[in-house]
Amino acid sequence: MLAAEVPTRETFANLPVWAIAFWYFLIFVSVCAFAWGVWRLARKYRAGRGPAEPDRPAERLARGARVVLSHSWIRRRDPLSGLGHLFVFYGFLVLFVGTAILMVQDDIAGPAGFEFFEGWFYQAYSLFLDVFGAILVAGLLLLAGRRWLVRPPRLDYRRVDGGPEDVRGRYVLGDRAFLGILFFLALTGFLQESFRIAETDPSFETWSPVGWAVGQAFIGIGFDGGAAELAHRINWWVHGLVALGFVSSIPFTKAVHMLAGPASVATRDDLAGRRLVELPPDAKPEEVGYQRITDFAPRHLLQLDACTKCGKCHEACPARASGYPLSPRDLILDLREVAEGSLGLRSRLGVEPRFDAAAPLVGNPIRPETLWSCMQCMACVEICPVGIEHVPIINQLRRGLVERGEMDSQLQQTLETIYTSGNSFGEAKRKRARWTKELGFEVKDARKEPCELLWFVGDFASLDPRNVRNTQALARILHHAGVDFGVLYDAEKSAGNDVRRVGEEGLYTSLAEENVKTIEGCEFGRILTSDPHSYNTLKNEYPELGAGWSAADVVHHSEFLLELLERGRIVPKRRLGYRVTYHDPCTLGRYNRVFEQPREVMRALGLELVEMPRNRDNSFCCGAGGGRIWMKELRDESAQRPSENRIDEAVALGDVRFFTVACPKDVTMYEDAIKTSGHAAEIELRELSELVLEALELDPVAVGAAPEP
Amino acid sequence: MKIVVCVKQVAMLGDEVEFTPDGRGVDPDYLEHALNEWDSYATEEALRIREAAGGGEVVVVSAGDEDAEDAMRRCLAMGADRGVRIAGDGIPAGDPITTARALAEVVRGEGADLVLCGVQSSDAVQGATGTALAELLGLPRVAVVKKIEYDHAARKAVVHRELEGGLVDVNEVETPAVITIQTGINEPRYATLRAIKQAEQKEIEVVEPGQLGPPAASVRRMFVPPRGEGAELLGDDAAGVAQRIKQIVEERLR
Repeated sequence: MLAAEVPTRETFANLPVWAIAFWYFLIFVSVCAFAWGVWRLARKYRAGRGPAEPDRPAERLARGARVVLSHSWIRRRDPLSGLGHLFVFYGFLVLFVGTAILMVQDDIAGPAGFEFFEGWFYQAYSLFLDVFGAILVAGLLLLAGRRWLVRPPRLDYRRVDGGPEDVRGRYVLGDRAFLGILFFLALTGFLQESFRIAETDPSFETWSPVGWAVGQAFIGIGFDGGAAELAHRINWWVHGLVALGFVSSIPFTKAVHMLAGPASVATRDDLAGRRLVELPPDAKPEEVGYQRITDFAPRHLLQLDACTKCGKCHEACPARASGYPLSPRDLILDLREVAEGSLGLRSRLGVEPRFDAAAPLVGNPIRPETLWSCMQCMACVEICPVGIEHVPIINQLRRGLVERGEMDSQLQQTLETIYTSGNSFGEAKRKRARWTKELGFEVKDARKEPCELLWFVGDFASLDPRNVRNTQALARILHHAGVDFGVLYDAEKSAGNDVRRVGEEGLYTSLAEENVKTIEGCEFGRILTSDPHSYNTLKNEYPELGAGWSAADVVHHSEFLLELLERGRIVPKRRLGYRVTYHDPCTLGRYNRVFEQPREVMRALGLELVEMPRNRDNSFCCGAGGGRIWMKELRDESAQRPSENRIDEAVALGDVRFFTVACPKDVTMYEDAIKTSGHAAEIELRELSELVLEALELDPVAVGAAPEP
Repeated sequence: MKIVVCVKQVAMLGDEVEFTPDGRGVDPDYLEHALNEWDSYATEEALRIREAAGGGEVVVVSAGDEDAEDAMRRCLAMGADRGVRIAGDGIPAGDPITTARALAEVVRGEGADLVLCGVQSSDAVQGATGTALAELLGLPRVAVVKKIEYDHAARKAVVHRELEGGLVDVNEVETPAVITIQTGINEPRYATLRAIKQAEQKEIEVVEPGQLGPPAASVRRMFVPPRGEGAELLGDDAAGVAQRIKQIVEERLR
């Protein structure tokens, strides 16, 4: 036994030649099954509309690799399960690479006469794989313990949206099988090593610490020599067959996320939700939006398979939390059932539930009220660890509804109002700049005079009486700072951000084109707005319509106020000292990553800022977004409104004087919610400009300073 | 089967109004325009009858200037097949009879199986055009209709009229007939802006009105009534209330 002195092991120890040949045949079958499954998936995705190949492949690949290897998206807001997944991922990856190294030795280097799988390399290999095998097991135990002992609510598959639960049993079975098989593979892998060590007890195998320890235990109880050899022989086949079975099953089970997840991360639209896609101008009515599963972009079909049911979107969704018939998770899973049941393998094998690819999605299984429940707040897209674009998908589905005129009468009326009057309030054009009359100084007409700053005011800030106070406060501040600014007076129309998010693309385009034309006729440096909804669309969407400015030319008033403070153009006369909290508007924060500027302004005013538990990218929508402010209530009345839930969160901080916002819709929503939630005595609402005005000791504009019309 | 729908582009007031210098109209700067609400229900009803029949033509007719085509476009975007606009420069505002005369000529030429109008227009609120049109065409007329069961083969329709106090009056009418449609008869479909743009491809024929005859009504003065001193409760004795109203009216007319 001289060979035993050199640290190595024989890959096919204890196996006759025919068995080895049979083994290679099984590998071939398994790889074929895997490849066929992947091909079926690709075919399914290609049944979607539009190009399947992503642009900028190198950049996307790098992004995918970075996100997947660092687990940065998976670890967010749940470090423990992130760690568990990280362990499983790297454990699995290292063991996979280990097996690949064996293949290189046995099938490529070996036949060429080059033996590297011995000596120090073998010992390092053994140690490395043993450690990572242990990490894999630790990760699996962590995840299993969390799933089945801790049972976090977001892993509860029971539906809150009223949809069918018929396939939920399969989901649970799939989870158990997936975790179980991985655990079984790790276990039999270690056993295999231990049996081998128990059989001959080579001294160098101390480099396989787990296998050596267990092997010694076997020897200790007399399970060695021939007995261990027999166990080795049997376990080899058990481990091998389950492993090959697992490999071939990857494209067909929950394990598909190992392929679809990274692909989805890499191909995700960087501007998903922030910039919605335009309709082709010559689109026929049946081509508008996503009406059938085959209308989906291939990327979106891929995303459906990437979903791991982790429930992070389900947890983050304000609609789900407030009794609306929507869970982003369940919507994606329903769509996946349709894709798989109409275009995927299931339809081909005739396994129920099956769907007709040519049938409209709305009705079966997607219900319109689910789609109308969405606030387009991006909480789901933000937190999805595999990059699913729920918000643009919902928007596309809404476009199909709008095209067929299927919407609630209140929304229809609002859209008609916007069409006729150019604003959602149905006010006459001339009323838009009425707020300027009470200021005591002239506001430039940007259409007639050049100005440094073109202020796009937006519907709510122009026409809602409570918001007009903030608008006037901001105007006072700008005037005080000597900023050269102008507004568009009655030529400004609704920016169309929410019209677009409702799915009325035609009306959005018409509003946007008119605004772009008006703004392009002006001479200005940058565009200012206090309305995050207008901000998003002016910044990310108008430039596509031939606007002559770039995203960087559009500033939110929180950014601009900070600039003024930093440059000393406004200097607070006194420190306000109030204890306040700040609510991040979805379209400012999550959409456009303006998180710190409003906070810095508040600190500069000497405010004591305390954060709500859900802040910045985890901010909780007020419930107005995505056109919901124009629609009939779909909420289960026993549930709490999102805005009231948020006020409760602020009040729970204790002794907070002001609930601070930087969005006109938030002003409207939270002024209301403070009253309806019964907290009017404890907390008050302040818009950022109001606080700045107070710190500058400027007089607010007297209410009713202008004569009645 | 052919259904003609008579529609109007109405003017809408904001909460601010200024009158033209002659005091007989509203300064156009203070007006927004839209399809008359009642007419959107009439158009929807026509489309539903056409869809139920599985075929036929819906023609939208309007008397008005070029801007009126915006309202017609909306009907075409909802699904109407074509439009005829009667150049309305010679039709005095607020004169439903002259408007009906202009419409009658076109509607007669179309040879419609059904003529639908809105009960009234939201700006003039006279409720007269549809009725006058029926008289001029010599057709039966049913007003304030909330349900139509149209039998094309039998050339008749069962129509439900809305009366005060929730009463429903069911009539059978021979067609062709003029029916004025009440809001709430259906839920008018939403015309997407895309559809409105695409409706630009649909034909709107412009015709000159024929002999309209002398105006039947004209506006003498428009004004904002002075704000009153508050309401006066007249009690609940019918005869006493009538007596008091008579007294008030006489005082005001003096």
